[in-house]
Amino acid sequence: MTRPPAWKLALLLFPGLGLILIFIGAVIFMAAAQSFGYYNLLGESGFTFEFWERTVQRRAYERSVLYSLYVGLISAIVSVALAYPLALWLRKPFAGSLTVSAVLKAPLLIHGIVAAFLFLNVISFHGILNQFLVWLGIFSEPRRLQNDDNAIGLLFLQVWKNMPMALLLLTGAVQAISDDVLRAAQDLGAGAWARFRKVIAPLSVSAMQAGLIIIFIGALADFTFQTTIGPTNRQSLAQYMDWFKERARWNEAAVVGVTLMVLSLAGSVLLAAAAQMIFRGRRR
Amino acid sequence: MSAISITDLVMKFDGFTAVDRVSLNVEAGEFVTLLGPSGCGKTTLLNLISGFLQPTEGRIEIGGKGVVGVPPESRDTAMCFQSYALFPHLSVRENLIFGLRQRGASATIRKERLDEVVAQVDLGEHLAKLPNQLSGGQQQRVALGRALAVRPFVILFDEPLSNLDAKLREQVRVEIRKIQRDYGLTAIYVTHDQAEALAMSDRIFIMNRGRLEQSGRPEDIYYGPRTRFVADFVGSANILDAEVEAELGKGRWRVSTPIGALEVHCAAAPGAKVLPICWRPETAVGGAQHVNALKGDVTHRSFQGHFTDLIVDINGTQQRLQILRGDQKEGEAVDFSVAPEDITFLEPEA
Repeated sequence: MTRPPAWKLALLLFPGLGLILIFIGAVIFMAAAQSFGYYNLLGESGFTFEFWERTVQRRAYERSVLYSLYVGLISAIVSVALAYPLALWLRKPFAGSLTVSAVLKAPLLIHGIVAAFLFLNVISFHGILNQFLVWLGIFSEPRRLQNDDNAIGLLFLQVWKNMPMALLLLTGAVQAISDDVLRAAQDLGAGAWARFRKVIAPLSVSAMQAGLIIIFIGALADFTFQTTIGPTNRQSLAQYMDWFKERARWNEAAVVGVTLMVLSLAGSVLLAAAAQMIFRGRRR
Repeated sequence: MSAISITDLVMKFDGFTAVDRVSLNVEAGEFVTLLGPSGCGKTTLLNLISGFLQPTEGRIEIGGKGVVGVPPESRDTAMCFQSYALFPHLSVRENLIFGLRQRGASATIRKERLDEVVAQVDLGEHLAKLPNQLSGGQQQRVALGRALAVRPFVILFDEPLSNLDAKLREQVRVEIRKIQRDYGLTAIYVTHDQAEALAMSDRIFIMNRGRLEQSGRPEDIYYGPRTRFVADFVGSANILDAEVEAELGKGRWRVSTPIGALEVHCAAAPGAKVLPICWRPETAVGGAQHVNALKGDVTHRSFQGHFTDLIVDINGTQQRLQILRGDQKEGEAVDFSVAPEDITFLEPEA
């Protein structure tokens, strides 16, 4: 079969890929341009650093950058770290493994806002968790668990919702590692941790990187969980962008939007590079 | 003291007995082969020795120490796998020294051993390559070198040549045997290829349905099979149901068989009046040179190069002959004879 000419291929791809590129490209361009003073809806349009200078100097901006990075990184790392042992456990089928796997992956099918309210019901003042802890005698009376200052509840929810994605990616990767390769490592003296560090992780590093990146970007840009159960004394970048938007300060909202995009890209590259450096190991 | 001593070993999987009360000893520096058909329990036995499986019952000693319950990483063994099991993300160099790193060998020892192993398995120019850049034979050498580098007390081979072509297989098996002798290693080799077992081993253990059927030197196994299974599995054999008619003298017997009366010279007396006997196709010679002169019709002829394979019908019983430069054609009659010493009594069957 002969390969169709390039123009025909481009034409065939255009309805799908072309539209995606145009839409995403247009949004990126609009946000970047707006952050530098173009497409100004309330004043004169023209190139300026004014919005960047004004926004970056704000303490709230710095705090939201650090907070979003904290949520993004912790969620990604903890989700992948929890998914690994589960993926290894489910590597070989056993009685009930299909059910266990399905239950673990179920959060993937639950919409974010539903998950957030579900969790809210569990940790609320008169929720199941409070009642249970009181019944156990650990708490003498119900305590406020939602919207905690350190975002522990939010991180828990992020991990609960995102871990299945990492599990999905890692299960395939660890299943592809042959039993003989793992046995060879063991036979040559590698204990459980050495086998993970020197064989399993390097051979599944691509899936690990994909998991880290997907979860990091999602958690970094989170709005739903943050506004539902996140701390009230901090704002995520998405929340901060929304704050500007609510006040029709579109150019400053664009600055936060571009920051989010840059952090997503830079964080993804750094996470992928770190995983590669730590786990790829000595090859030559 | 034996290098490996196995006593009454049993391995059961959900009621299925894969290894059934096996006992054997392997001496230091010996090359022994576990030979048998697929599913006979030979790989299970190897996995029990290496520690990948824990026995249901029985005892395994390596170098005089009981190892049941000891994990594979703590046993002084190294395995060469059928699939080679090279680490695909590591270079040949890193594959070769993987075991040394795990065992905490110093950089100096690692370098010394690497140089030694590289010279032994001839991989000098491939050290920086990844396994997928090597041919099957080269990958097998890396697997062998990786096992040798840790200087194990016992080296275990799990059908290591089955993925190689016939020519390469012959070459690598000579190399494996040479290296094993050079290092004085105790080796256990698992295969279902009887030619490989006969060519390489000091001793062969034949396994069938989880049990040891017979053990001994390759020559003893080949020329003195004890059971119908061994006779049939190791090489080609003509097996006949016989009835002992008379003892003609010391160690000489006359038996009646479906192809006629035969004289058998055998030091050991037959175990029953009715029992199977066997003779190897290549022991037949053209004409009536021996007392057991036979005649049959050629039903199938296949030229094999250094001999001609003939299937001959004698009184409705098919027998196989392998005759040098046999020019008989299908449908023709052929005269041949078998020496009484070349016929063996097998164990009577229940």
